[in-house]
Amino acid sequence: MRTYDAMNPAAVAVQLLLTACITVFCMEPVLLGISLLCAMTFFFMQNGTGHKGFHLFALGIPLLFALLNPLWNQHGTSVLFFINNRAITKEALFFGAVTGLRLAAVLYWFRIFSDLMTSDKLFYLLRFLSPKLALVFSMAVRNLSLFRQQMHRIQAAQKGLGLYREKHFIDDVRGGLRVFSILITWALENGIITASSMTARGYGTGKRTSCTNFRWKRQDVLLLVSALLLSGLVIALIAAGYLERVFYPVAVPPDRNFGWYGAVAAYALLAMLPLIHEGKEMLLWYRLRSNI
Amino acid sequence: MIVIHSARIRRMLGTALPFAIMPALVLLLPVGVQAEYYALVSFLMVVLALLLFLSGFERRELGTRRMILVSVMTALSVIGRLLPLVKPITALTVLSALYLGKEAGFLVGAMSAVLSNFIMGQGPWTPFQMLAWGLIGLFAGICAEPLKRHRALLYGYGILSGAAYSMLLDVWTTVWTYKEFTAEGYKAAMATGLPYAVLYAVSNLLFLMIFTKPIGEKLARIKKKYGL
Repeated sequence: MRTYDAMNPAAVAVQLLLTACITVFCMEPVLLGISLLCAMTFFFMQNGTGHKGFHLFALGIPLLFALLNPLWNQHGTSVLFFINNRAITKEALFFGAVTGLRLAAVLYWFRIFSDLMTSDKLFYLLRFLSPKLALVFSMAVRNLSLFRQQMHRIQAAQKGLGLYREKHFIDDVRGGLRVFSILITWALENGIITASSMTARGYGTGKRTSCTNFRWKRQDVLLLVSALLLSGLVIALIAAGYLERVFYPVAVPPDRNFGWYGAVAAYALLAMLPLIHEGKEMLLWYRLRSNI
Repeated sequence: MIVIHSARIRRMLGTALPFAIMPALVLLLPVGVQAEYYALVSFLMVVLALLLFLSGFERRELGTRRMILVSVMTALSVIGRLLPLVKPITALTVLSALYLGKEAGFLVGAMSAVLSNFIMGQGPWTPFQMLAWGLIGLFAGICAEPLKRHRALLYGYGILSGAAYSMLLDVWTTVWTYKEFTAEGYKAAMATGLPYAVLYAVSNLLFLMIFTKPIGEKLARIKKKYGL
């Protein structure tokens, strides 16, 4: 059993980023609906029913967007009603709804991206760009927790000295600044020691060797290739204008020809790749278990 | 990886590209590119600018010690969020740039954006934040001498960079919302972003007032002690 977040980070990042990017640059409601549906399904599969605050944010802000757009957008011809002498048009409402849908879908995809692409995976991807930079980045990530621990230690020592009153605002702020100042001194010296230690062990003297934590298996290659092919197809069809939508002055339903169906179907497959993978692995798991 | 052999051209490109790309992004694109691809192209160009600048880092002789100090300052600027909403990232980026050089400034700014977004949430705005903070560091490093000498100038730079940061991110908001860059859209985005711009400017000023003396002294001391 290999979950989606255990796949090669490069393949996962390509699939998620392409799916999200196509969502950002498309205004076809059907495609956006598919995108949001797939993202939400995958999010629920990953997280269960938790994260109510995020759902509220990711669905509430777009709703607000949809309702507010007609207030400042005066395009469109079919007037529904007036507020303060400003015409509220059906087209503006529709446009706002589509924009909101797009926003919600993108928010979900990027939340999934943030959850799956932890800093170690980003570090793995960054190595392709520059090993030196990847080193600095990974040390910064490590320093975060190191400094936090050190900060608690300094705080405890300061409290032990009896310098501050309990629950006193000014003392809290002054103490916080003092602890931070002590931390900086310590961190800089500690950094220099680390650098000297690295130099002593021969950092930067010869060609760098490295090991890879994430291997390329057949599944990863398959995922990467299918993500690239499908998104290439969708982008080509979008560039050819099959998914173009006219919202103003009158919303025109799209010409649902072969290209339209092709683009939407290809995108649906692309967005469902994580779901297909998880579904397949789950089926395999149940089948193997029933055989035991 | 892109390899340019002449060191002078490399240095020139490394500084000029992020500068040249941002104005080009805002001014030149509407002529050549269809409106619906504007957002895509601007996003790609920002990513490209970052990649170009960062991949140049591989060939640069920054020195192990300076490199480690960059990672230390990055972690400090992320951890230094003592209060909600206001972040000392700008102040620490500027101070690192003043004492460790313009490249270190760019890196501290750009990497702090990525790292703090692990806490605040990554998104399509991350490259824009990286570029904005990176440029704040780069500019500070270029004008290091006058900024170090006159305190008032440094405070002015802090206020200005708060406003500039907000304005640069408003470009992103406009492009993302309207799919093209229009003057009215930008004005609307700036109007909604005004409270944030004020907040950034004030918090930058505040943090610079608090941090410049102690952190500046510490960095200057480290530089002197270890001969960076």
